[in-house]
Amino acid sequence: METFLHQLPIVVNALNVGFVQTLKLFAVTLLGAFPLGLLIAFGSLSKIRAVSMFTSFIIWIIRGTPLMIQLLIVYYFPGLVLHNPIWGGGEQGRFLAASLAFIINYSCYFSEIYRGGILSVPVGQTEAGLVLGMTKRQIFFNVTLLQMIKRIVPPISNEIITLVKDTALARIIALQEIIWAGQAFMKGSHGISGAIWPLFFTAFYYLVFNGIVTVLLARLERKLDYFR
Amino acid sequence: MPVLEVRNIRKTFGRTEVLKGIDFSLDKGEALSVIGSSGSGKTTLLRCLNFLERPDAGSITVNGEVLLDCADASTLRESEIRRKRLHFGLVFQSFNLFPQYTALENVLLAPRLLAKENHEQFADKERLNAEARELFADIGLSDRMNNYPHQLSGGQQQRVAIARALIMHPDILCFDEPTSALDPELTGEVLKVIRKLSEQNTTMIIVTHEMEFARDVADKVIFMDGGVICEQGNPREVFSHPKEERTKQFLSRYSQN
Ligand SMILES: Nc1ncnc2c1ncn2[C@@H]1O[C@H](COP(=O)(O)OP(=O)(O)OP(=O)(O)O)[C@@H](O)[C@H]1O
Ligand SMILES: [Mg+2]
Repeated sequence: METFLHQLPIVVNALNVGFVQTLKLFAVTLLGAFPLGLLIAFGSLSKIRAVSMFTSFIIWIIRGTPLMIQLLIVYYFPGLVLHNPIWGGGEQGRFLAASLAFIINYSCYFSEIYRGGILSVPVGQTEAGLVLGMTKRQIFFNVTLLQMIKRIVPPISNEIITLVKDTALARIIALQEIIWAGQAFMKGSHGISGAIWPLFFTAFYYLVFNGIVTVLLARLERKLDYFR
Repeated sequence: MPVLEVRNIRKTFGRTEVLKGIDFSLDKGEALSVIGSSGSGKTTLLRCLNFLERPDAGSITVNGEVLLDCADASTLRESEIRRKRLHFGLVFQSFNLFPQYTALENVLLAPRLLAKENHEQFADKERLNAEARELFADIGLSDRMNNYPHQLSGGQQQRVAIARALIMHPDILCFDEPTSALDPELTGEVLKVIRKLSEQNTTMIIVTHEMEFARDVADKVIFMDGGVICEQGNPREVFSHPKEERTKQFLSRYSQN
């Protein structure tokens, strides 16, 4: 008990540092994948067949392979295969590589949700805008977008909660996120070694954070309840 | 000179020829009603006029300006469609109000966006607001301006949709079965608004299954059948003394119900 009380502040400090990295990856992924997913959704809805087929092909590859493999490929492919280690060896390079892999992966998942959302808005909405002399762009931003957002909040919420947990995968390229920080205490870190409980303790961080995310998303959903 | 001249409009979807050469013209202030059985091409005709469908052949001329002539590529440019569209307004069977906006916002959205694009100043915003309020008084919904569509009855929604079309000042206002989606007790309030518009000499094309209304309100009636205009003329004539056998059959089906 005495050792535990002694270890606790040390472990919490280290886990906090790791969790900041987790949160950074989470935030960067969302910031990148929200808009990129929309672009990919437009691509897969394009009337130009070459564009829609190319986009569907990319989506098929990304959704058909594990994110963990995608992380490894993004991180190691430039250095080991092209002999051009663009990421460098440091934590910053690992973060950039992880961000890229996560953004690509999540924008493909988002794009499919967006696509369903766009298609679920009745064509009558677009046609009403057109006959009122609005441009396609004005119609998208002023008419379609909010109706689409309302419909995609529940499925996107699921993806966001999955993302919180998926960030742990970045450990595979040694990104120093919270799981990495917890595991370090097994081998030895900050003068503590052979301790497994810090690793288990990380679950608490995920749980609390997902709780906050869930509450915020539910609030957004309620906010959009004012129309049908 | 007529406001609208439609010449030889043809439209084919896949292998079905839906419009097989439609010709008619409309004078300023006239109301035209279009009747005909289901599938005769009435909606397709209105959609062609509003540039929601591109006809395969024919021309549309408004106030002497050729808006569309399938034989003249210079009239088919996508970039000008938007301006040309504003000569027409369209009220849909299913209202198609924007659910996330109040009734007032529905009416103001398009003209505001247009004013913003043309860099019109504050004065125009005031003028638009005043005009919208006037329109709501005309359709009898001054007290419901700030309601969302789902808080309005079908009849009220359709009246808002009419105001939304009117604020763009179309030369020709088209209605596609404006009361078909409504409960019978709600059709009256919508028809009353349209009737008032015709008394104010609004140029209109009304596709409808309300035969009595078509006869009373219109200055001219067109009976469509199988993608062609089978008979057209003065409503009293056409309804009481149809010349064509198909018109007789169609009308007799309605007088039975
Ligand atoms: N986008 C489309 N693709 C294929 N066929 C179509 C399309 N739009 C209309 N049609 C066909 O064209 C024909 C005429 O349709 P239209 O909607 O113009 O008839 P209508 O006179 O308005 O009928 P209703 O009284 O039922 O509204 C129908 O046979 C319909 O199936
Ligand atoms: Mg129709």
